[in-house]
Amino acid sequence: MATEFTWVPKASKPAVLKRIGGWAFTAFAALLCFWLFVLPVIVVALSSVASHWSGTIFPAGFSMRWFERLGSSDFDALTTSLEVGLGVAFLGTVLGLWLALALEGRDRRGVGAWVDTIAMMPNGVPSVVLGLSVLIAYHKKPLDISGSAAIVVLVQLALVLPFCYRCAAAALRPELTILREAAASLGAPPSMVLARVVLPQLVPAIRASLALGFALSLGELGATLTVYPPGFATVPIVVVGQVNRGYYLPASALSLILLAVSLAALLLIAARVPRRRIA
Amino acid sequence: MSSLSASEGIPDDAAYVAARRRRERRAQWQMWVILVVVLGPLVIYPLIQLIVLSFTGAHGVSLHAYTAFFRNPETSGVIGTTLGILFASATMASLLGVLIASMLFFKPFPGAKLVTRFLELFVAFPSFLVAFTLIFLYGSQGSVSIGLQRLFNLQAPPLDFLFGIGGVILAEVVFYAPFVVRPTLASFATLDMRLIEAAKSLGANGLMVAFRVILPLAWPGIAAGTILCFLLTLNEFGILLVLGSAHLITLPTAIYSSATVDLDLPTAAAGAVVMLAMSLSLYALYRRVNRRTGGRDGN
Repeated sequence: MATEFTWVPKASKPAVLKRIGGWAFTAFAALLCFWLFVLPVIVVALSSVASHWSGTIFPAGFSMRWFERLGSSDFDALTTSLEVGLGVAFLGTVLGLWLALALEGRDRRGVGAWVDTIAMMPNGVPSVVLGLSVLIAYHKKPLDISGSAAIVVLVQLALVLPFCYRCAAAALRPELTILREAAASLGAPPSMVLARVVLPQLVPAIRASLALGFALSLGELGATLTVYPPGFATVPIVVVGQVNRGYYLPASALSLILLAVSLAALLLIAARVPRRRIA
Repeated sequence: MSSLSASEGIPDDAAYVAARRRRERRAQWQMWVILVVVLGPLVIYPLIQLIVLSFTGAHGVSLHAYTAFFRNPETSGVIGTTLGILFASATMASLLGVLIASMLFFKPFPGAKLVTRFLELFVAFPSFLVAFTLIFLYGSQGSVSIGLQRLFNLQAPPLDFLFGIGGVILAEVVFYAPFVVRPTLASFATLDMRLIEAAKSLGANGLMVAFRVILPLAWPGIAAGTILCFLLTLNEFGILLVLGSAHLITLPTAIYSSATVDLDLPTAAAGAVVMLAMSLSLYALYRRVNRRTGGRDGN
């Protein structure tokens, strides 16, 4: 300990300054990241258990009353969000998988390039515009679904599909193609190759795609707000409505539940099975 | 070469070629099925209906909806406002994102891994929630404002900018900077560290290394991230709805209010087509840049 202590003054002055500067810089960087990205999540959590938080630095007192006061409309919104989210995640994953398998190796030219471009297009379309288009297309004959939850599922499916498609396409690695060709050359029919070789290899991607689709659907606002029929408000719509009327604390209780559900889904991504090496 | 041409006549080979051709034909057919059954109702048909409606007047084809949308006194400067917010917030978010990515990569601090992981989760965080949390922090009755008031013994809370253009830009910068961090980190990871070492050993200082070596090499990834940031900021809606509702009219909110408040779908469609053209051209640029760098356009 003592030897170390006597060693420090021996270091030349610029080196010490440089080290202090480095520490200061690191501390600043850590603080900045914390301030910008971690603090918002803490604030939502803190405000939802605050009994009162306005005009003070920290919340004044804590209580669970905002959770106890959640009314039936809040729980209806939560149920709608969960049902729509599960449906969208499932359909998006199935369709994304189909797209990825059909387009494997064919997404650069011909029809394949067109299919790829159109499937990815909702990524570049503003959600309000997509919502408006779906509303225009399906609010009158020949197909009127604007009164049911189907229109919400439809519009969210279009928004989520690019993510699910990319999830599955990224998992179709060249090694997998070799395995499939090996299985096929050993006489396995295509359905058996799909069920016994391809799908087991794609399990991590399917889980990631389900979780991502679910989380994105839970948080979607613009398109859902444009198309939703009365009685099918999702959690984001209710939260934004409460915020615009100034009911901040009930809104944060509801959004904390939303965040907890989508974080639980996203942890599925983190808990993915370690990728086994293919010899 | 000769063995190849000799084997052409063997029936086994012909069967293989035929099977391959059949498989290729089936794949083509499957792609058409996807185009018609999946993408038709989800994407193609709605967008065509949107464009058709925006050009439909009382008597056939007309531009009436467009003049109605842009002549409306409330929405007259709407494109200027939208572009102003877009450039201010996307530029700042890109600079901040690149800065954070370089700190995380070149000067990792304890917990930097955790922050990287957190930034990945942040991408699934709904944007309106970010705007909402800022109310507790920077609103006139928020923590920071009250803290400053106590610190300097002021009469009134000093901060009152959140519900307007300032708050929208702040929220968009905070929310979209992580979207730049990811592609920038990915392009840093492909850097050849020997080049940086070589530059340093030849006497280049930190700034010189950053601007003459790292930036030119990592530029494609940074450019892709920046374009993505511009695209997502242009398409943002939740933040505008929470923080800019009353007096800040931008393209998405104008489209939304003429569709749902005025119930005037053709006028809303005209605004939507203009916005669609803007974002799809940015998106085409993004795909082009991203494809050239060999990255996947996952999001």
